Amino acid sequence: MVSRFDQQKTKHQLFHVSLSLATILICMTYMQYRRNWAYLGNFWDSLVVPIVFIGELLKVVLARFYGRIEDGVLTVKQRQKKAAYFTARELAGGFTLQFLCTLLYAFSCIIFGAPVLGNYEETFVLSLLMTLLTVSPTVFLLGGGGALQVCFCEKPDFVTKCEDTALNLFKYNALGGILGAWAGSVVAPLDWGRDWQVYPIPNIIGALLGSAMGNIYACTHVLYATARVYMTKKRA
Amino acid sequence: MNVTYLFVLIWLAFLICSGVLLFSRGFLLARVSKTETSTCRRLSTNPNDEYVLTPEVVNEIFKDVNASSNLCLPQKSKVIILVVDALKYEFGLYKSNITEPLPYENKLSVLQQLLERSPDQSRLMRFKADPPTTTLQRLKGLTTGSLPTFIDIGSNFASPEINEDNVIDQIVKSDLPLVFLGDSTWTDLYPRRFKRAYSYPSFDIFDLDSVDNQIMKHLPKELVSDDWQVLIAHFLGVDHCGHKHGPLHEEMARKLTEINEIIASVVNGMDNDTTLLVMGDHGMTASGDHGGDTDDETNALLFAYSKQNKFFGSDSGSDSETLQQIDLVPTLAAILGVPIPYSNLGLINFNIVPDVAVPHLSKFQTLLLHAWQNAQQIYRYFFKYAMENKRTFDVQEMDKLETEFILLTHRVQTIYNGVAYKSFVRDLNTNLRDVLSTCREIWVKFEPTQMSQGLLFCFLPIFFAFLLINNSRPADYPKMFQPKGISYTYLLNLAAGVFGYRYYKNFSFKTEEHGVIFFTAITSTVILSFYTLKHWTNIASNWANIRRFGHMPTRLLLFSIMAVFFSNSFVIQEAKILSYLLVAVILLLSYELLLLSARFDFRNKFKASQFLRSTALRLILASILAICFIRFAYTLFRCREEQGNCTDFATSNTPGFSIKKPGTGKTYILAVVIIVVYTTLTRLYLRSCGNLTGSSPNVLLARYGPTVASICAGGHVLLANSSIKNIQRTHIDAMALVIYGLLLLQIIVLSWAPLMTFVLPPRNPNILTVNGHDSIVPEIFKKMKRMYEGDDDAERRSEIPIVYGLATVYSSITITFGIFLAMMMIVLLEPRAAIGLVICVAVGAILLSVQGILRYRTATSFESCVQPTFTALVGWFLLAHFCFFATSHQTTLSQIDWRAAFVGRTSGIGQSNIISGALVILNTFCGPIFFFSMYALLSTETFSLFALFPSLIRSCSNSGRSGSKTDPAAAMSDIANEAVGFDMTRGELTLYEYEDVFLGAGFKLATQFFMLQGLKIFCAMLACTIHCRHLMVWKIFAPRFIYEALATFVSLPALMVGYVLLLRINRAVDTLIKRINKPKTQ
Repeated sequence: MVSRFDQQKTKHQLFHVSLSLATILICMTYMQYRRNWAYLGNFWDSLVVPIVFIGELLKVVLARFYGRIEDGVLTVKQRQKKAAYFTARELAGGFTLQFLCTLLYAFSCIIFGAPVLGNYEETFVLSLLMTLLTVSPTVFLLGGGGALQVCFCEKPDFVTKCEDTALNLFKYNALGGILGAWAGSVVAPLDWGRDWQVYPIPNIIGALLGSAMGNIYACTHVLYATARVYMTKKRA
Repeated sequence: MNVTYLFVLIWLAFLICSGVLLFSRGFLLARVSKTETSTCRRLSTNPNDEYVLTPEVVNEIFKDVNASSNLCLPQKSKVIILVVDALKYEFGLYKSNITEPLPYENKLSVLQQLLERSPDQSRLMRFKADPPTTTLQRLKGLTTGSLPTFIDIGSNFASPEINEDNVIDQIVKSDLPLVFLGDSTWTDLYPRRFKRAYSYPSFDIFDLDSVDNQIMKHLPKELVSDDWQVLIAHFLGVDHCGHKHGPLHEEMARKLTEINEIIASVVNGMDNDTTLLVMGDHGMTASGDHGGDTDDETNALLFAYSKQNKFFGSDSGSDSETLQQIDLVPTLAAILGVPIPYSNLGLINFNIVPDVAVPHLSKFQTLLLHAWQNAQQIYRYFFKYAMENKRTFDVQEMDKLETEFILLTHRVQTIYNGVAYKSFVRDLNTNLRDVLSTCREIWVKFEPTQMSQGLLFCFLPIFFAFLLINNSRPADYPKMFQPKGISYTYLLNLAAGVFGYRYYKNFSFKTEEHGVIFFTAITSTVILSFYTLKHWTNIASNWANIRRFGHMPTRLLLFSIMAVFFSNSFVIQEAKILSYLLVAVILLLSYELLLLSARFDFRNKFKASQFLRSTALRLILASILAICFIRFAYTLFRCREEQGNCTDFATSNTPGFSIKKPGTGKTYILAVVIIVVYTTLTRLYLRSCGNLTGSSPNVLLARYGPTVASICAGGHVLLANSSIKNIQRTHIDAMALVIYGLLLLQIIVLSWAPLMTFVLPPRNPNILTVNGHDSIVPEIFKKMKRMYEGDDDAERRSEIPIVYGLATVYSSITITFGIFLAMMMIVLLEPRAAIGLVICVAVGAILLSVQGILRYRTATSFESCVQPTFTALVGWFLLAHFCFFATSHQTTLSQIDWRAAFVGRTSGIGQSNIISGALVILNTFCGPIFFFSMYALLSTETFSLFALFPSLIRSCSNSGRSGSKTDPAAAMSDIANEAVGFDMTRGELTLYEYEDVFLGAGFKLATQFFMLQGLKIFCAMLACTIHCRHLMVWKIFAPRFIYEALATFVSLPALMVGYVLLLRINRAVDTLIKRINKPKTQ
């Protein structure tokens, strides 16, 4: 497989990665601007969730934008899928899936040691963020049913090439987010007595940083592949 | 032949344990504390008392001064002691020529004023502390006069109360009332000693003022009241300020100024016959911390002042520059006229003893009496200690000291003037300081050589075991460890041990033990490296096959487990961290399973209905259940003092005693229900495996034993904790004894006839068997038909013996043993903790089944199938250690459950301490013991699972080849054969067929656990080494190390027990198969 800078796929990948990094950078800047950490676990007060939401939406738009040139060569199934994107059934399915996912994440937070009674808002914000980082992009791209299939089955045949590229990148984002949120708890037991050691804050920041790391890793992969092609070409 | 592996295991365990032992000898300095106390007859000036000081008495005394040791001179004055935590010597020095003093300089101006105004009535001295310079150890030193070490063997672990003779007790015994204000460490050490105590917890290190403010509130009114003879106030602010801000912060200036004001007000308020002592218990480093032995930390300040009486001057022969902290005890005893505590090693320093004339005695006579009593006391203690702990001291040095002392006893008789006294006391002090330095050498210093060698000797066997065993295939072990080679290894080690025992002195080791450990470890390392080199090609080729970044999440988990030791906050929260990691392991396992089964089950389309019926979903639900159990175990954790809001340490009326809340009735009922559920479920499992058929001894025991045991355990839980008074103790004990007996019986049966199988007697084809309700004609017809057709096959088939329970022959026995072990532990544990244990067992069962199916699906051959996945291995290891916390244990020395030592033994059966110790160990480390002795299940459970549910094989392999429709009944074994290369339906009998690989794999698994445990204890030791100057070393790191070391000493043998169990079963299976095969071959 060849990849060059001027290729559509590579461009898409690089734009995608820079979009994710920009989202996280904006989040960080916002946090820096607010200076106070305590609001992070607040649903109405914190802008982190909306920022991430917009970022993910933009990524999907990007994928659609690059997918537009493939429109001519779509198979019947892919065409059907595309036509069904905005139907009520798909929308409801997608929404339900995300809601269930949020519940699942909230449950995970609790079994990992969040208080069973109380701190509901914090747990909700954290699980919402996790859903946005992991499941939502796929759902936005493919709809509820499609997302389920992508998660549990081998690659379904209605996924276009361009969507496939995006899905691959979403994977890094999601894995990084989960690992980051999990590893964020490392500071919780320390006795430093800082205000940012309170429950959802390290996990939220960990999730953001983790997904950033995942994106950086993906970026290096892409760049490495391109560089290798470039070098071999030059040598030849 | 396979016993060879066992000997390799014993060898490795010995190496690891000896390394740990050596380290602990260097790190935990032990001093045996003596409980004897000193007494004396107080000579009174009041003519009405029993012993009155008269000229005749004085004459009597000086006829034989050596006989005067049990006399105390009268009290000289009242004493006020102001302990200012971390008051460094430099804080009190006054530098008149500096214009811009640092925050800690020139703040205690009142000292300077007093020194200038009345130099004979005030003293400023360096107050030299002995390390460890932590407040608790210092207070022990300041009151007992001995050199404190971390573990005073024989002292009371359960509460910090000091039971060695000390000056506080002596003061109380002499009816001098004490009043105390300040740090609650004092009231923990000396509960119920003070007439009035205003004690406040010292826990919050960032709180600079609250304790000091409380003292300042109460101090003035205490100063005025005259019903005390000794007043102690302990200020914490300066120390906390040092920890929070360091000595160069403005806060320090404020705190010191405050202290200055307090001293000034006390000086104003005290009456004429009172001696004021202001002292720091230790200094601080430039960063404000303490704990180590640098000059900054050990040099504290002592200031003494007396309003009216002059202190003894320089002609008393005492050092006027420096005062050892232990010297305070005899000095206080001299001032107050109480006996010097039994284990004191300090000398009276007359520079701070007020010169109050004693009637009928000249000054030098008073001094001589004091000094000589002190000397006699020290020698009494020193010789007694040396006598009872032989080899602690060097014999030649002892002889020398003794000769000198005898000379001094003669010389003391001949002193009649001050000059003679001066030269005598100089020699006496030199001699006594020699005694002190001899003791100090042994008790105070860490021994870096022993610590570093311990670390090294612990690490080397783990490293080589990793290289040699972890990177070889089980099939190679028989070639690697031949009986001959292992016996030579043992002989060499023995020779090295004997050599070390004989010649340890030539290599300047202190003890035989050290010599033996050193030489055996060196020899073993050489042998291990020899083995490694010999098989290097093999190892290298196997190593090359390992994926470089495989198991990354699991490695991360393992890293986190090990990292726990290096931070005190992590150690404090270890219970939660372990459960966090355990949950992660289970999620990881179920994620892998989901990924695999999703690949298999839904190739093209995700179907919810199919997903709902799949095994994967069931397993995931089971994992979620396990995780919920783990989350529930949060409520069973015991908290520790440092976590704050810990009710175990809520100090109520009696400070220093943790009051254990009795559980509620609900807990007991829940415990009983859970015990019953546990027994029932295991029984159902065993019955469905066919292991409860027949009448072999172990089957009978397994059929009825657990029921009896659970009834007894339930009864014991309910009765032992009930509030009904008229139950005889013997009845309760009997229940516990029944369970002990059942475990013993199980062990006997295991060694005699372990198998839980039932061989159906072969049917004779020529005899018709007719059941009562069947009619006879069809049977005859069938028989005739068979004979007519001459069906050889059917005849032959009937000759195949039918054996019940062969598919689970290994695991069933292990599980049965586990029930009895668990029952024993349940009786020992508190009801709350028993729930935790059963929860852990349930989590273990779920872990086993998830890992079994995962293993089968990822296996490529028998060899890989019999070895559990790395994640499962780490999960099992984590579970064993999590169980420690789930059973309401905590790694502090004060939270050991001593109650276990008395379960079933109140009526006086078996009073030996060894049994008590074993019971407490079994209670404390029930998790590691239980799970490590059951470790073989990790490799056998895969097989029994698939023998029990053959449908699992189909469900995971027909997905591999969708479309190929096979005949369901006949093809099962073929499918299995194709998938992993052997017949899975035969269950654990397959294990016997590949006996060599199986036993090798069991050995490998055991060594892998050895390595994990070894790595853990190594990290604990490393953390102690790194943090040996840490503030919290004696409170957090050292106890954690002790627990981990004990866990190592316990879990390595437990793993060996597991392996022995495996060997024993294997031999029994061997004889069974041979017995069955014999008639067929004839």
